Amino acid sequence: MALLKVKFDQKKRVKLAQGLWLMNWFSVLAGIIIFSLGLFLKIELRKRSDVMNNSESHFVPNSLIGMGVLSCVFNSLAGKICYDALDPAKYARWKPWLKPYLAICVLFNIILFLVALCCFLLRGSLENTLSQGLKNGMKYYRDTDTPGRCFMKKTIDMLQIEFKCCGNNGFRDWFEIQWISNRYLDFSSKEVKDRIKSNVDGRYLVDGVPFSCCNPSSPRPCIQYQITNNSAHYSYDHQTEELNLWVRGCRAALLSYYSNLMNSMGIVTLLIWLFEVTITIGLRYLQTSLDGVSNPEEPESESEGWLLEKSVPETWKAFLESVKKLGKGNQVEAEGADAGQAPEAS
Amino acid sequence: MAPVLPLVLPLQPRIRLAQGLWLLSWLLALASGLILLCSGHLLVQLRHLGTFLAPSCQFPTLPQAALAAGVVSLGTGLVGAGASRASLNAALYPPWRGVLGPLLVAGTAGGGGLLVLALGLALALPGSLDEALEEGLGTALAHYRDTEVPGHCQDKRLVDELQLRYHCCGRHGYKDWFGVQWVSSRYLDPSDQDVVDRIQSNVEGLYLTDGVPFSCCNPHSPRPCLQNRLSDSYAHPLFDPRQPNQNLWVQGCHEVLLEHLQDLAGTLGSMLAVTFLLQALVLLGLRYLQTALEGLGGVIDGEGETQGYLFPSGLKEMLKTAWLQGWVARRPAPEEAPPGEAPPKEDLSEA
Repeated sequence: MALLKVKFDQKKRVKLAQGLWLMNWFSVLAGIIIFSLGLFLKIELRKRSDVMNNSESHFVPNSLIGMGVLSCVFNSLAGKICYDALDPAKYARWKPWLKPYLAICVLFNIILFLVALCCFLLRGSLENTLSQGLKNGMKYYRDTDTPGRCFMKKTIDMLQIEFKCCGNNGFRDWFEIQWISNRYLDFSSKEVKDRIKSNVDGRYLVDGVPFSCCNPSSPRPCIQYQITNNSAHYSYDHQTEELNLWVRGCRAALLSYYSNLMNSMGIVTLLIWLFEVTITIGLRYLQTSLDGVSNPEEPESESEGWLLEKSVPETWKAFLESVKKLGKGNQVEAEGADAGQAPEAS
Repeated sequence: MAPVLPLVLPLQPRIRLAQGLWLLSWLLALASGLILLCSGHLLVQLRHLGTFLAPSCQFPTLPQAALAAGVVSLGTGLVGAGASRASLNAALYPPWRGVLGPLLVAGTAGGGGLLVLALGLALALPGSLDEALEEGLGTALAHYRDTEVPGHCQDKRLVDELQLRYHCCGRHGYKDWFGVQWVSSRYLDPSDQDVVDRIQSNVEGLYLTDGVPFSCCNPHSPRPCLQNRLSDSYAHPLFDPRQPNQNLWVQGCHEVLLEHLQDLAGTLGSMLAVTFLLQALVLLGLRYLQTALEGLGGVIDGEGETQGYLFPSGLKEMLKTAWLQGWVARRPAPEEAPPGEAPPKEDLSEA
């Protein structure tokens, strides 16, 4: 009736314990890997928090860091248990703690799986924060003398150069905002006055982009100003020119970068989760087979190891019964106390 | 026939020597690994920066020699670790007895030679970098506009990426761009009077401007980048090109690249020196261990005292014995063979 019974003799038990000990130490290494992945992601998110409105969610890297630390702790403990399992005297010390420990391990595995899923699913929130943050960043591009925003120009320029992108969705985003500060405009020039008068908000809008949008692979020197005016440049057609500026928007570029990062972290975490599940199953077999040694004076005897003592529905029923008894147990005691007090009173 | 530099080695010091040798061998292996990483990194950097070094420059031979030296010293380290481990275990030592001699010779000659060569290159080659960079960067800048000439079509992209990544402009400063035509004639309007004037104003018929490419721009500047009319103080509001400003990168690419490559070569050179020291120590220790154990006849646990030495006799006697051995081995062979062959034949015919 037991689930997945396996017979164990002394040699097999010893091999299982030794194998589990080794796997637990590899798992500590895996926990360190998860911890460093989480740390890396956190640092990458902090590096670009300027263009994410400082409101990005650090849930994924924080949970990876927590899981890494917990994994190290649990697996080194399990390694110690497996090492002691070969010595009956030492094992007797651990015996009462093993069942709750295995329950905690199962819980840990479930949480690890959920964290791995989160790595794949939490991309949507990043997209929103990125789009808001980039829009604000571009708005403050010209405010290089406003304290608190003076670094925004440098940040956006270095971002566009590093990620080979331009603007939020494309280079035309720059046409809609004033990215040249009023301090550097010659207000005596007719052209400047015309442009400022031509729109409601009195902004100086140009069909030009900052230098960081330029694509080095272009065969001609970069055309940054009067981009939509074909007659301003010799032998130029802005409809067919593709290599002059970066075509991709920075939102798409950053999103793709972070998605790739989180996807690969999710895959690594899933693989480590599989490893942890194997270790938990092995530990359960070790525990049940060592408990099944009927005569402690004969450590050489054969025993059986199983995952669950009864089949799954029966185990679930027994679990519910014990939970109900826990609830009823208090009731029975309370009634007994009342009944005891009533006769005394009367 | 006194042994050279003898050292008495009873059992305990022999064991200590073997253990210390094991540790030193792993340190040597670690140092070799670092050399392999560093020279690999330098090779990758040179692949990217190869266009900016003159083709006649010998600098790329340094990481190649260091790579070879690193591989050989890694082998020496592993051999040393294995041999010193085996010398503590009677069952493991016999297979090492025959192999250790030739390995030591190979390690000293090959490994030592390669390390000395690489070290010499690391000291001598960085001096030639200055000229090579001068020539290479000059060519690259002159061909910036030739984006459709085979052989130079990548120069624009490479120069732009160099200036963007290393934060530099021109060879020694941004004014180098004023002396080069960096706008291709394909994109110059022949009917524009300004273009015609500029082309006619100099002997070679080049279109020279006081402007720079976009990759010279410094993102730290508070104002959008000014790339054109940089010699004219009145062309842009609030901008005086004669005053220090953050508009363009100030450093020239020559200085930046020179410092970068010399730093890498210096790091590689110091690691080679450390590895050379470690390798010398490991080879010496191995030689002493080998000769001491030979004195005991290959028995590891012998309690007796033996002598370890570098060479069994002085250099002159060694050369004499080697020469005599070689001579003796060559001469009597043809005379001995026929009498050696004849008796077995007679035995066979009798049997």
